Amino acid sequence: MTAPVAPRAEANMGDPYVLGRNVNAGGEEDRSEGGGASKSIVTLYGFWIFLLSDIVMFSGFFASYAVLVGATAGGPDGSSLFELTRIKLETGCLLLSSYTCGMSAIAATRRTLALTEIWLLVTGLLGAGFLGLELQEFAKLIAQGAGPQRSAFLSGFFALVGCHGVHVVAGLLWLGTMMAQIWVKGFRADVMRRLMCFSLFWHALDIIWVALITIVYLMGHAR
Amino acid sequence: MLGKLDWSAVPVGEPIPLAAGTAVFIIMLGVLGWITRRGHWRYLWLEWITSVDHKRIGVMYCLLGLVMLLRGFSDAIMMRVQQALAINAPGFLPPEHYDQIFSAHGTIMIFFGSMPFVIGLMNFVVPLQLGVRDVAFPTLNSVSFWLTASGALLVNISLVVGEFARTGWLPYAPLSELAYSPGVGVDYYLWSIQISGVGTLMSGVNLVTTILKMRAKGMGYLRMPMFCWTALASNLLIVAAFPILTATLAMLTLDRYLGFHFFTNDAGGNPMMFMNLIWSWGHPEVYILILPAFGIFSEIFSTFSGKPLFGYRSMVAATLFICVVSFTVWLHHFFTMGAGADVNAAFGIATSVIAVGTGVKIYNWLFTIYGGRIRFDTPMLWALGFMVTFIVGGMSGVLLAVPPADFMLHNSMFLVAHFHNVIVGGVLFGAFAGMIYWFPKAFGFRLHEGWGKAAFWFSLAGVVTVFVPFYVLGLEGMTRRLQHIDVSEWTPWLYVSTMGVAIMLVGVFCQVAQLVVSILNREALRDETGDPWDGRSLEWSTASPPPTFNFAVPPDVTGQEAYWGVKQRAIKAERLSDEPDYEAIEIPRNTPTGFITAFFATTTGFALIWYIWWLVIVSLLGAYATFVVFAWRDVGETEISVEEVRCIDRARRAAREARLAQKEEA
Amino acid sequence: MTERTEDGREDAAPGEGSSGARGTSGDISGYTMGLALAALLTFLSFVVADSEVIWHPAIPAALIALAIAQMGVHLVFFLHITSGPDNANNSLALAFGVFIVVLVIFGSIWIMGHLNHNMMPMSSATDQRMFKSPL
Repeated sequence: MTAPVAPRAEANMGDPYVLGRNVNAGGEEDRSEGGGASKSIVTLYGFWIFLLSDIVMFSGFFASYAVLVGATAGGPDGSSLFELTRIKLETGCLLLSSYTCGMSAIAATRRTLALTEIWLLVTGLLGAGFLGLELQEFAKLIAQGAGPQRSAFLSGFFALVGCHGVHVVAGLLWLGTMMAQIWVKGFRADVMRRLMCFSLFWHALDIIWVALITIVYLMGHAR
Repeated sequence: MLGKLDWSAVPVGEPIPLAAGTAVFIIMLGVLGWITRRGHWRYLWLEWITSVDHKRIGVMYCLLGLVMLLRGFSDAIMMRVQQALAINAPGFLPPEHYDQIFSAHGTIMIFFGSMPFVIGLMNFVVPLQLGVRDVAFPTLNSVSFWLTASGALLVNISLVVGEFARTGWLPYAPLSELAYSPGVGVDYYLWSIQISGVGTLMSGVNLVTTILKMRAKGMGYLRMPMFCWTALASNLLIVAAFPILTATLAMLTLDRYLGFHFFTNDAGGNPMMFMNLIWSWGHPEVYILILPAFGIFSEIFSTFSGKPLFGYRSMVAATLFICVVSFTVWLHHFFTMGAGADVNAAFGIATSVIAVGTGVKIYNWLFTIYGGRIRFDTPMLWALGFMVTFIVGGMSGVLLAVPPADFMLHNSMFLVAHFHNVIVGGVLFGAFAGMIYWFPKAFGFRLHEGWGKAAFWFSLAGVVTVFVPFYVLGLEGMTRRLQHIDVSEWTPWLYVSTMGVAIMLVGVFCQVAQLVVSILNREALRDETGDPWDGRSLEWSTASPPPTFNFAVPPDVTGQEAYWGVKQRAIKAERLSDEPDYEAIEIPRNTPTGFITAFFATTTGFALIWYIWWLVIVSLLGAYATFVVFAWRDVGETEISVEEVRCIDRARRAAREARLAQKEEA
Repeated sequence: MTERTEDGREDAAPGEGSSGARGTSGDISGYTMGLALAALLTFLSFVVADSEVIWHPAIPAALIALAIAQMGVHLVFFLHITSGPDNANNSLALAFGVFIVVLVIFGSIWIMGHLNHNMMPMSSATDQRMFKSPL
């Protein structure tokens, strides 16, 4: 019943992009009939679905922000509050941390413990740096009377950026736990699956940040 | 030390919650006492509470749903009686009480009655139909269930400690803001829904992954049973819609707890934004409820007509069409909020269009029945009852989809009639049909037919008697949620409706009797082979109840209707297929993670409601610790030996050989 | 990490890219290229936001285009999402997610921007800003 082993190029004699039943001379079964996927694929796909749901949750906050951006209640608006230098630093931190996270994934697939831990540590430090800058920004705004209770615009701002920040905190907590697990248990299959899920999560956070700086900071600045 | 909590939270001055709370407490003590006396705790803990088996979790979900349906129904009884008594009179429920009751009624019926019931059925059936051993993430499944139970527990605690929300089942701003709802009621709502919402979202991720990535060999997408397709669509909707609910309720929580201004009347807040966001969740939610019911009916119509489902591919297309379009219609819940003709027209057209998908399904069911050899067992009766009631309810929905008509009928009793018509006639009838259909599979014995039929007829008569007068009342101008009635002309309809509740109550009694009588007579009703209905899909190839591992050997599917072909071949050859080569099977270990996580979730929620901040921190730490302990375990599976597998499967084969032999003689 | 079934036609997990020649998790050059492109696009976004040269009302559109490009860079270089048949499930899920996000955000902006039919005429500019589109 099982098809013979064959390199990919020869196995797909028909057009791999055709919809529906894959009608090719080998009489091979349709892609969806291959039986269950491996555990790592199942786990990562499930996490991918969860990430997409998380992105939908962010879109709720984005929608609120977009609707409330003009509701400053006579108070300060974005252009008077946002410090672009700080945002450049934060973006640099997060983007670089995505890169170092990728490096740690490569080191993990090569099973090099020390290098993996180092790259993960750097990722964590960059993430912590990002958080520090963000908390500083929040404290500054609140101190000058531009806290979330001041207006609907500021509520939307603090909730949206804060939601991203809470996700970064959760990510750092997860990162620390992963570093401990790799240290104690090595590159066991389930530990690797979790590490790959963490990578997905961390990259997705950077994608959200791109949307965030565009819609909140850059557009707010350009008004 | 205890935040806002003190003895004044207990409603000693209010007879109804006090009596209800005391009664529930006594019943609970009775049940717990009975379990203790019979020494069942060990069994319950090892086999049910810590179970990660989708079949056990599915049953627990359904049980939770059924119990909460009873609670919601008792709220309904009080509402109908109040409205019958309060015509130019005060009635027996003061407004602040009545408001809590209709809010609790809706919240419980949807979030803790229907959703768990439907999710439980999907949990139980989908892996069996797909020919796999469990869902993608079994421990996560357990966590999901217990989080849902945690939310249900919090809502019920609000009856005796504090109060519930008075804002309706969707807490519209600005009424739900702190300024206008200063008590703990809305907070109870917010935290119980958020906690159970996490559970539901996890369940959605679980089932989507299972259906898309784990199916028996040979079961391509277009060979999946229809119930799995509708389960896929429903869970895709869960994954896409529930995050919006989470975000919106989080915004309301920020408003109430930290003084944010999302939906307040001042500082630029926009209460209308709440309606917009909550309904962009709310509309997909009703499709999350109805799609699995549609799937159940597809299975039942085909099985009890003895024919394959008509138009399988068009059914798949209709299901996916409904799934996608359900996200484009949400404004029809607030046509009157003032978006203007352009916006209203766009959404009105989208709403009318989505009815096409359902229409395709209804015609396909009719063509499935046509020319078939129909058996009027109880599940089929529920399905036919659905057909009649749902069409009426759906048509009233299409009428409401026309904005000018909706301007007259929005928030009237006509609307209440419509959504009860489709939810009760659609979701509940489907859930009951599914429950009776798959009960033998889950427990090894059938439900008593006589009581089942009685339950159906009384329920159908009750539903019609309660809700048809609502259509009339709506057209005569009666609005919803009225604590007292000033228009005497409405009296006859209100009385008819209240009598209908009595009929429904008889139906409920028959359902309970059906369960009790069946359990007492279970030997007589035993399902010997595992295939009591002459089924067509893979779950009927297993024993009743199936062993933990579902299938001794993973099935190899060669056509649509995976089991029917196998069965016909066996009947024709007058023998079963050869005994397979058995192997040892690894199954996931049971774990208390779900239960303990939910325990901490409950304490977190309770602490947040009553502003007991130290308890919030302790509970969150507890939850995190539970997670770490689980993540640290080294052994995730246990093995079932090949001898045991062989022994279990030979018993199943022997029963089927006996049935084959019987067929030969006949 | 990508395991092959006997015929090597297994789907790829999200984040792992195509099973086959590229192997696992991509390689360093892929990530470096992604970093460079993303950094460039970020730099450009900041330039555009402050720009005197671009017509003012077009700035939001330009920013959105740059953001979409950057997200694409992340998806391809860091998350290894491709359009091959082994990634079909991953891309379809992503497409569904994007569809929902677009509906929620633009649907909300459209609806909320129109909700003035029941309102009295507005006098102050700040009140009128409530219905102004952010774009």
